[in-house]
Amino acid sequence: MTRYRKQDPEITRRRFINAAMGTTATVGIVSLVGVLGTANPVFRLTRDKMPPVEGDILVHASASKEGEPIKISELSEQLVRAWPMGKDKEGNKLIRKGDPNNVLAIYRFPKGQIVAPTHLDATIDGEIVAYSDICTHAGCSVSDDDQQEGQMKCPCHSGQYDPKRGCIVVGGPPPRALAQLPIKQDGEGLVVGGFFLENPYPFTESEWEARKEAVKAQLA
Amino acid sequence: MNQWLDERLHISRLNDKFLRKAFPVHHSFFLGEITLFSLIILIITGIVLALSYEPSNSLVVNSFDPGTAEKQNLIPAAYHSALKINAMPFGDMLRRVHHWTANIMVAAAVIHMMRIYFTGAFKKPREINWWIGMLLLIFTALTAVTGYILPYDNYAYNTVKVVYGIAASVPWVGSWLAQAAFAGNFPGDGIIPRIYGYHIMLLPGILLALTGAHMLIMIKQKHTQPQYAKRIAYKKIVGVPLLTQQTPIMLMLTLLFAGIVLLFSAFIPVHPVEFFGPPSTTPINNIKPDWYLLWVFGALAIIPSFEMNILGGVIGSEFVGAILLPTMVIGAMFAVPMLDRSKDNNYYAENPTNHPVRLAIGTSFMALLIILSVAGYKPDLISGNVLTTANANTVLWILVFLVPAVTYFSTIGIVRGIRSLREADERESLAHAAAADD
Ligand code: HEM
Ligand code: FES
Repeated sequence: MTRYRKQDPEITRRRFINAAMGTTATVGIVSLVGVLGTANPVFRLTRDKMPPVEGDILVHASASKEGEPIKISELSEQLVRAWPMGKDKEGNKLIRKGDPNNVLAIYRFPKGQIVAPTHLDATIDGEIVAYSDICTHAGCSVSDDDQQEGQMKCPCHSGQYDPKRGCIVVGGPPPRALAQLPIKQDGEGLVVGGFFLENPYPFTESEWEARKEAVKAQLA
Repeated sequence: MNQWLDERLHISRLNDKFLRKAFPVHHSFFLGEITLFSLIILIITGIVLALSYEPSNSLVVNSFDPGTAEKQNLIPAAYHSALKINAMPFGDMLRRVHHWTANIMVAAAVIHMMRIYFTGAFKKPREINWWIGMLLLIFTALTAVTGYILPYDNYAYNTVKVVYGIAASVPWVGSWLAQAAFAGNFPGDGIIPRIYGYHIMLLPGILLALTGAHMLIMIKQKHTQPQYAKRIAYKKIVGVPLLTQQTPIMLMLTLLFAGIVLLFSAFIPVHPVEFFGPPSTTPINNIKPDWYLLWVFGALAIIPSFEMNILGGVIGSEFVGAILLPTMVIGAMFAVPMLDRSKDNNYYAENPTNHPVRLAIGTSFMALLIILSVAGYKPDLISGNVLTTANANTVLWILVFLVPAVTYFSTIGIVRGIRSLREADERESLAHAAAADD
């Protein structure tokens, strides 16, 4: 009878199985992440999703008057919500409500009440001022404060803003002020003078810079 | 026929193994069953709802109020289909039963858990089922939240907006995560189909799998036995068998439960979509999440604002309040079985008052969640002039620490009192017995 001397295999059975399982798991996880990637659709910056740009007309956002240009005579210390209205490629009117974060809050206060840190040169005669209406905390639409005239309160977690002082946070959880939008008078109506002066919700500063560049490139 | 089946399927072995499982008879043991019945009712009513529901947020003309030719009244198809379901015979009732049962399911699961916690039923060998139960609770809440969003009325819209914001608040990966979960930048064209997929396929699938595991493990390990079992037959399993004694009890309970749900649904509307209207820019005043998420909402309302920048990732109050804090609370609940060091298997449900520290931790934990939920009413407390804007946060923060602490110490105090009374009683009866012997 021949006696075989068993050679030590290069790797043990256990190590082989472990390595095989490890490889399978890695491949599996990588492909799973690939699948998850498909869950995230590509974002296309269409004109109805652009933030307010220079020359946009401000129109009413409330359901009953949606799309009607806002007149200066309609403004007061009560908040008026507005959409920016621009033009599509063919030059037709287009309300930019593809992104619901484009809602704006417009106020008119007696002269002298609006003070720094509001950018006064971005208001109309220091009387009419426009902000993003989207709370910087979790993105709710901010309303008038039901207890203090001329103040704003978020219905979600009662964040409070002061629209006479650049919409700085005066209470509650929001991390920063509402972004101010430069506006200009055009006859009876209001037009946008340029991009938001700070990053509006939900953009970080760098994302906002990138978005502005993308909009400029597309409209050029 | 029994024999015919038995020869082929060995029914009798199934009978011996599962169907004769002994069920202890005690009212607190029915809480888990109510959770199970709720799941069944939800699946049945959910399937019927899905027959008429249209999972799409594309705009369609509102057939109930079409508007004019120049200005058509456009509303999301999902909202439109909810209106149509309401207009069907018993359609509104169907939605109400589904919604009410969802609330009851979460409530029953929570109370069921309280029973497990206070009687020490989570101890070795039942830790695994505690963890599965925790997962069931989390996934039930997720299912309910996704269901909440489906009618896509203004309330649902604002809710999903906040949920999106929370997902996006995770540092570094937040916006990617939120976009992947909700089909693109809010509100993506695919948001309702996506949430529909979660609500009727993914999450119920997970729930069913977990429920199956929960039940199998429970049958394998047996219930903890109520105290009376110790007196009747020490270390023996006491109870009525699933077939045939427990089954009629369960059937009666199901019918009673279904009756109560129908009664609730008939008289108390939940989520009247017509009232909230389609998604719009007008926010809903004093919007609140469902009650079981109110504590997270309350924490968000009282955490002061801050934003930290770490290596390009932004950590804000939203992340801390809505993700970090709930993770810690849930983590603490997951850790409960690890607090018990005993090596022996636990047979008997324990009297909560014999474990005063555990009892007190449990009650103060609940007090904490309740007080955080009260903090969720901060806007209402301010509008109602109970608190002012200036002092609301301070008062609520003090309560957040004070109330649980007071609960803790008063629970311990009350338990001591009960115990000394009981001991005094025993001494007295012993003395009486001794006197009688003389
Ligand atoms: C297992 C736990 C479940 C929970 C907690 C749950 C919860 C909810 C809730 C709270 C709603 C909102 C109801 C409303 O106000 O209209 C809802 C809607 C809905 N659910 Fe479920 N659900 C569950 C399972 C299911 C299943 C299994 C299905 C389908 C197979 C389903 C299908 C639906 C549909 C189609 C709607 C939208 C109907 C409408 O709003 O008009 N659900 N669900
Ligand atoms: S979203 Fe405005 S305070 Fe939270």
